[in-house]
Amino acid sequence: MSHRSAVFNRQLPDDLSELLRREGIFPDHAWMAVETDINLSGNYEPGWLIAEPDRILVVSQPTTAVPAPVRLLLSRESIKEIRTRQGVGGGFIDALVEGIYVEVIGYSNARADIFHKAAKKLKQWVEGQQPSIHPDDDRNPRKCLKCGMTLQFKGDMCRRCVDRGATFMRAVKMMRPYAGKAIFMMCLVVVNIAIGLVPQKLVQLLIDFVLAPEQAHNRIPESPRSWLLALVGALLGTYIFAAVIAMIIGRLASFVGTQITYDMREKVFNHLTKLGIDYYDRYNVGQLMSRVAGDTEQMKGFVHQMTFGFVAQLIQVATVGVMLFTISWKLAAFTLLPAPLVVLASVFFWKRIYPRYYRVWDANSKLHSALNTILSGIRVVKAFGQEDREQKRFGRSSGYVRDSFRGVEYTVSMFNPAMGFIFQLGGLIVWYVGGMMVLGDKNLSSDLHPYTLGRQLQFLGYLGMFYGPLNSLTQLTNWLTQFLTATQRTFEILDTTPQIVQVEKPHRLPAAASIKFENVSFGYNRHEPIVRNVSFEIKPGEHIGVVGKSGSGKTTLVNLIARFYDVDDGRVLINDHDVREIDVDDLRKNVGVVLQEPFLFRGTIFANVTYGQRDATAEEVLAAAKSANAHDFIMRHPLGYDTYIGERGAGLSGGERQRVSIARALLYDPTILVLDEATSSVDTESEKLIQDALKRVTAGRTTIAIAHRLSTLKNSDRIFVVDNGKIVENGSHEELMALEGLYYRLVKIQTELSREPSIDRLAVEKK
Amino acid sequence: MTQQTESDKAQPQDAPEIDQTHIRFLTPEMCVIHLGSHAALHVTVKNERIYGGVFAAYAFPVAYPQGYISLIHSVGEGKDREIGLIRDLNDWPAEQADLVRAALKRRYFIHTIQKINHIGWKYGYISMNVETDKGPVEFMMSWQYDRAVDYGKGGKTLIDVEENRYLIPDVSKLEPHEKSEFTRIIYW
Repeated sequence: MSHRSAVFNRQLPDDLSELLRREGIFPDHAWMAVETDINLSGNYEPGWLIAEPDRILVVSQPTTAVPAPVRLLLSRESIKEIRTRQGVGGGFIDALVEGIYVEVIGYSNARADIFHKAAKKLKQWVEGQQPSIHPDDDRNPRKCLKCGMTLQFKGDMCRRCVDRGATFMRAVKMMRPYAGKAIFMMCLVVVNIAIGLVPQKLVQLLIDFVLAPEQAHNRIPESPRSWLLALVGALLGTYIFAAVIAMIIGRLASFVGTQITYDMREKVFNHLTKLGIDYYDRYNVGQLMSRVAGDTEQMKGFVHQMTFGFVAQLIQVATVGVMLFTISWKLAAFTLLPAPLVVLASVFFWKRIYPRYYRVWDANSKLHSALNTILSGIRVVKAFGQEDREQKRFGRSSGYVRDSFRGVEYTVSMFNPAMGFIFQLGGLIVWYVGGMMVLGDKNLSSDLHPYTLGRQLQFLGYLGMFYGPLNSLTQLTNWLTQFLTATQRTFEILDTTPQIVQVEKPHRLPAAASIKFENVSFGYNRHEPIVRNVSFEIKPGEHIGVVGKSGSGKTTLVNLIARFYDVDDGRVLINDHDVREIDVDDLRKNVGVVLQEPFLFRGTIFANVTYGQRDATAEEVLAAAKSANAHDFIMRHPLGYDTYIGERGAGLSGGERQRVSIARALLYDPTILVLDEATSSVDTESEKLIQDALKRVTAGRTTIAIAHRLSTLKNSDRIFVVDNGKIVENGSHEELMALEGLYYRLVKIQTELSREPSIDRLAVEKK
Repeated sequence: MTQQTESDKAQPQDAPEIDQTHIRFLTPEMCVIHLGSHAALHVTVKNERIYGGVFAAYAFPVAYPQGYISLIHSVGEGKDREIGLIRDLNDWPAEQADLVRAALKRRYFIHTIQKINHIGWKYGYISMNVETDKGPVEFMMSWQYDRAVDYGKGGKTLIDVEENRYLIPDVSKLEPHEKSEFTRIIYW
């Protein structure tokens, strides 16, 4: 205890410390003092767990109901075990005293991490060790380093710290590789807008110099037809130029837009493949599909908005605005009267509509998810005759999408026309005031710059060009909301730190062989360990069988070997290197896994067998398939190894899929092979074929086989019996049978069951 | 509250194993619920044994909050075993029923929201200022589907960033403006 921890060496209030001192308790002498927020009655009340060298105490401020500050006192000798127990919304530290678990202290979930650490230290203390307390203990990977906010999971991004402006700028930065094209494109956009101003100017010239020069106090031209022809020619030239520019902009926008979407989609997908299995435990596939396919598409919309949408319209509004003020600043000022109203309405609208857009996205995600689930499980649906129920379920999801869209669109359909009406009021002003100026109202027009009919028509033309985009700009909030929502969700994926990270200088692992677990604890949910303080060693080439009840932690053990997850405590060593320090690619290359439900991809059998070894030759594939007892059934297909199989291996039986997956693992040539219930979902005949294949495959490799059918593990060098996250028995089949423990009982139960006649078995025995 | 001292120590006698394949309903005639050493909850089943360090859990916390309460004791190494179920707490002597209620209150640290003072929303987080049965509370929760889950037919359980739980037993019974603000954001 060389350093003090702010959390585990908590200072008690002075008055309470004084009170305790009077009773002979000196909190300053405690090696640990942790503060809780609730009492054992389930109410908020601060309390302290004080651990002294020979006892623990729970103290609290005296109350009328409980006047003594000491609520519980237990000597170290009396405590046989310390554990944490999860409640709902909180938990407890229990101590085993005189054969019963006594609740020592309660805590809310806000303090669960702290008390789990405290319990570990108490366990060491009970075992006679001196636990260390260090300021590092105060670190919590579930808190944002910047703002201290609790994160949903380790490595999650802190959404409080996400800057919305930064989100927008990140989207803009995505264009950096195409900056040259984008700048050129925007220059063309400006040119295009400038060209758009020309026709109205030509109208003014036509009226004031050719058609009605008198009203503008201009001379009647000598050759009005030539003037007219020249103006028409100018108009034609303008239109041609504008069309060419628009074509170039369109092509550039399409190139940049699709390219950015492609880049974004690729980035997101690549990042998704790097994220750990735990990420997929939290998010369902439907939601992620929606993000990869739908949200990334918004980037294309962003480029479109730059060229033809809001960005272009903003430039147009500014340019035309300047023109309006140039023609008549008084009239222009009148037309801007409705603007503040529009700004206020838009701000209000943004605030109200934003959650509804999320709802639309949420509804779409759920629809995808429901559809995915129903169609994936269509065999089960049909087998149980639940078509009607699923139709109704889908109907509900679909209805939710409909209602969500309506919710947004009804609001939008009210807002947009209302905004349009406000703008049109500005138009009415121009008609009246401009008309009065043309009629020569002295108060409005000056003699120096008479307001002519041509100018009035030019002004009205520009007004259309001004209000048109301005009207659309009221929808900028819609688009910006949609865009930022989708972009933020996309960046959310990109910002999620993979849980499985590679150290800077990882150990290379040319060939793996030995495996060692040192006091390993791990749980998928925090505070609920599945593997509890497990230690074992597996020698190179050893065959280990793992048995245990469902949920006992067997698969979790192998998930840790392959580093699909990182341990919470302890170390997993391969060849005496911590797996966290081993090059991830090397690790995966050395650990082959054959799962209970083999996953095959859409494609040929050849492509599936060579999935992990793309450069495998045809002969290597044939050899692997032969060893895996897959060759014969593959050859029965007319197209042999070039047979195309459907999604998840559709077209092959369960046993055939499994044998293809074994061939795949064999070709991968791992030095450690993990077989996770590899034969449990196939018929007996297939099982025999698979077992024969596995015998060949596992020869000379370190093998860990999990199986429910204990007979398949009989020949293992050692068998680990897993119960409640611990290895409770470890030995050969004979040794464990002699032990007459859990393994013995499991074997007895299975022997009883196997006496039941089975058609499968009869068929196999007959052969 | 009954405080026993004589039979304080839970007895690991050679009592018959509880048949875990069938539901056993506990009745006041066959057992007594009491406090034992260190104020731990004990259950003495007549002609069986005393179970110490007992805790209580709802089988149907939403549908039957007064009944189907499981009394569980720990048998070590992280394993728990059910002693039996209480069909209806109201059938039990008040003193014993109160002990079970207190045990339930300890296990279920849930704030029941009585009034929503303010709901804010920013960057995917919802901030709530509420009055609860445990006093006024301000908390932040992620704006995610699994952070506001259904409770019975019309209720919602909210889970904040610290994973503390807040219960609205019936959303329709909130004041109209509270309900409107709540359902605007928690719309599912």
